[in-house]
Amino acid sequence: MRTRYVERNLDGAQSAGQSFSQTRRWWDTAGIAFGVLVFFVLTLAFTASQFGWLPYDPDQADLDLILAPLGSPGHILGTDFFGRDLATRLIVGVNAYFLPALGAVAVSLTIGATLGLAAGFRGGPVGLATHYTCTLVEAIPRLLLVLFAVTVYQPDIYHIMLIIGLTGFPGLATRLRLRIRHLREQSFFESALASGVSLQTILFKHLLWHHCRPLFLIHASQAMGEAILFETSLSYLGFGVQEPTPSWGNMVQTGSDYLLQGNFWPSTLPAAAIAITLIAFYLFADAFERRAQDRQNP
Amino acid sequence: MKGSPHLEIENLQAYFYASADRTFVRAVTGVDLCVMRGETLALIGESGSGKSVTALSALGLLKGDPGIVAGRICLHTDEGPRELLAGLDRCVTIERTPERPLSISKNGPAWDRQQKRNFVGVRGKEIAAIFQNPRTAFNPYLMVGEQIVENIRLHTPTKLYQEAYDQALYWLERVGLEPAAERFDNFPYGLSGGMCQRAMLAMTLAAEPALLIADEPTTGLDATLRTAILELLAELQRNLGFTLLMISHDLHVVRRLAQRVAVFYNGVIVERGPSLAMLSANDIPKHPYTQALLDAQPVRVSPKPRRLIALQGDVPSPIGEAAGCRFAPRCTHAKGINAKRCEHESPPFFQVSSDHQLACWLYTDSKEVSVRGVDA
Amino acid sequence: MKKPLLALVDVSKSHPRNAGMLSNWAARTTGRAALDRVSLTISPGEIVGLVGESGSGKTTTGRIIAKLTAPDAGTLWFDDQDVTHMPESEFRPLRQHIQMIFQDLDGALNPNMRVRSILAEMVALDPLGNKKESAETRIHSLARSVQFPLDKLDVTPRQLSGGEKRRVSIARALACKPKLVIADELTTALDLPIQAQIANLLLDLRDQLAVAFLFISHDLPLVEFVSDRIAVMYAGRVVESGPAFSIAHSPRHPYTRLLWNAHAGSVAKEELAATLVADIAQQGCAFAPRCPIFKAKGSPSRCTSTQSEPELKLVEVRHQVACHFPL
Repeated sequence: MRTRYVERNLDGAQSAGQSFSQTRRWWDTAGIAFGVLVFFVLTLAFTASQFGWLPYDPDQADLDLILAPLGSPGHILGTDFFGRDLATRLIVGVNAYFLPALGAVAVSLTIGATLGLAAGFRGGPVGLATHYTCTLVEAIPRLLLVLFAVTVYQPDIYHIMLIIGLTGFPGLATRLRLRIRHLREQSFFESALASGVSLQTILFKHLLWHHCRPLFLIHASQAMGEAILFETSLSYLGFGVQEPTPSWGNMVQTGSDYLLQGNFWPSTLPAAAIAITLIAFYLFADAFERRAQDRQNP
Repeated sequence: MKGSPHLEIENLQAYFYASADRTFVRAVTGVDLCVMRGETLALIGESGSGKSVTALSALGLLKGDPGIVAGRICLHTDEGPRELLAGLDRCVTIERTPERPLSISKNGPAWDRQQKRNFVGVRGKEIAAIFQNPRTAFNPYLMVGEQIVENIRLHTPTKLYQEAYDQALYWLERVGLEPAAERFDNFPYGLSGGMCQRAMLAMTLAAEPALLIADEPTTGLDATLRTAILELLAELQRNLGFTLLMISHDLHVVRRLAQRVAVFYNGVIVERGPSLAMLSANDIPKHPYTQALLDAQPVRVSPKPRRLIALQGDVPSPIGEAAGCRFAPRCTHAKGINAKRCEHESPPFFQVSSDHQLACWLYTDSKEVSVRGVDA
Repeated sequence: MKKPLLALVDVSKSHPRNAGMLSNWAARTTGRAALDRVSLTISPGEIVGLVGESGSGKTTTGRIIAKLTAPDAGTLWFDDQDVTHMPESEFRPLRQHIQMIFQDLDGALNPNMRVRSILAEMVALDPLGNKKESAETRIHSLARSVQFPLDKLDVTPRQLSGGEKRRVSIARALACKPKLVIADELTTALDLPIQAQIANLLLDLRDQLAVAFLFISHDLPLVEFVSDRIAVMYAGRVVESGPAFSIAHSPRHPYTRLLWNAHAGSVAKEELAATLVADIAQQGCAFAPRCPIFKAKGSPSRCTSTQSEPELKLVEVRHQVACHFPL
């Protein structure tokens, strides 16, 4: 099994053959690009629905065009059983989760960052307490908790996302705590202290900004994906956004009645949208983590 | 047998592939060495110049992709010559043409198997090594004495435990670790740096190797310890008669222990010869790099401080083919009319005396000799 | 005589309690303190070399001066102020003037920060800085003064060689215009020609900027070459201190002589044998077990009794020795 090593022509011309690590690196870049693209599209969709730049009114029923198939004139993605344009409803569906999910991410990010930083830097009892808290919170089954909340009192989606955020911090807190604890041992930390740089600056600039940025981004991406999954699951089960307001979850649910008749698109398209979005976020987190590691260990 | 070649290295080439930049790090590009029986040869040079890679190649411990790609290493044992790089040309293909970039093809697993076969019975018995950080030589979970016993039983005819134990105690005393019986029971963490270094010497020499490779044996030790270890090494070599291949960047150490020295720079040997003549301030011709090393020694002659003649620039990057003399960018002589030749043509070896050669255009105009002189 | 910039007066420190298995073998076996009533002065613009074996307390001394650890006893004076127990918030502005270059090449610089940012941060610490020149100019002149290539200002330390990282550390220490720089093993692990460059650099910087240096090293010829004064430490005590040339060429303490002879390769066999089984005495003069004078005089009790540990006494102009029988 021969391995071939080819030197790149130092003037820049590419030579033949790619090694495994190169392919992987290309794949990582693709993953990151895909994630960014999807997020960009979602933001567009959100903005569009806020400003009302929609091809159709999502609630407008056109009873002449019920269940128009894909590619019908005027309705690229078809219509649902009320004759409502699916493309528009998909766009407006983003609304159902966009801000709340961001809210959940913000909450878990803040709590995780504060706890992780405090525990990592201080160590001792604070660190131990954080560790136990994180283990405890991680053990809570979030979906059951949300369903419980939903049955006990009817919270709105923001409230639900708050619960998601409050229970989503352990991963970040633990990872950040370990990272900070490791960095604290490095001599550049002591060196900065000895030079007269303020502790605040060291913690926030030297440690958080220069060494922990990837942690936050990866967590944000994963948390966003999780939050979206929660919202769509709830809507699918009927606990979230109610008809006629579109949400990808409830679109999948209501459209599923028509699957057996052969009209798959009212249900499948939103499901595909959910899948693509989730894949994008997780892929991004994955690829980004690998690339950050590559940078750490060249 | 003293005075005959013990280890011969011919045209050794070792490259490492950096997959991130897709370039080769040219660690060693054509090194010729000959170590005679019973002598001490020192390899000196900056870090990254190829000294350690050469030594590791002789031990068959060079790791890396692709690693050794060409060359011949011949070890002359009592039973006859052993080719340690036999079968290399079957595992490696090099395509080097001016138009296309360098391409090396190597069958890694096959070469590993081949190397195992080549080095059977060699490592530990014919060639042994001590390295820079003595603690890493020992298994931290076993007693120091036990590890010496293991080495004895592995490489010498002594197989019975009791005999090996006595031998181990003998060697511990020999290197000055007393009381030997107590030191036998010590674990590596219970010994200071200097003691660990001596214990490593005991362990390595207990196997009675014919050739000892010492990679920076005294770097990082304090002055007094350094002298102690040096004297110990010198005495042991006098009494046991092994050949010593030493790597160091401390010129005092080299002057004290080595009869001959080879100067490495950026993967090649630029000068080789008798250490006393080469490493002292005198009128004997020297390679500009050797001269720079000598100039860098701080010596204070009066209370008033002065400046050293310092070599400018930094260690050169081992990436990319060098056309001319590798030292040219930092050489004070490679200027003006000399610049063109120094930068584009690799200088041949100039014979200063029967034992002393250097590769520099400064000297080659008068007397020229072979392109690569292997002294034998 | 100029007023000292920095003075350590009778500073003592014991070894840390929970040292790891592999650390500080000397500490665990000798029972001596890490520092035992150490006194040291550094005058403005002076290069003081601190030499001694590992475990002698050189690095601990440096760390105490940089106020990274607190002494158990004794006082630390900086610029006429007693800073031994000064709270961190009050001391931080003074840190601008006491900078430390760490021994650890890789760890001392934040590996993810660009060189330019590293230097900019330190330049910003100098309150008088912005008035005369912009940060950019200052960074460039810093890089030039340590011979650091300007085109590498925007890379991270991961991509620098050992010598370049050292240079960045030096530039970083000088960026905020300190009065004292503690250089811990500045040239170890560097190749010979680069050591020479750094030695020249130190001397140039001292001449141009009037910065004082505490040069901690165990490379004796280099210390001798660069320093104005040298202090020799053994087992946590200063055993001799004086002008560099005298210390090197006419030492008065047997340990100093042993050190310099060892480097020159001219140590007597018996002394060497004694070194191999080196033991630090628990009481009295720590050097006695290895001291040739001690043996020659038939083990006088003065050297072993706890009552009369040798103290630093002046034997020549500015040259002190702590020995009962100085050479």
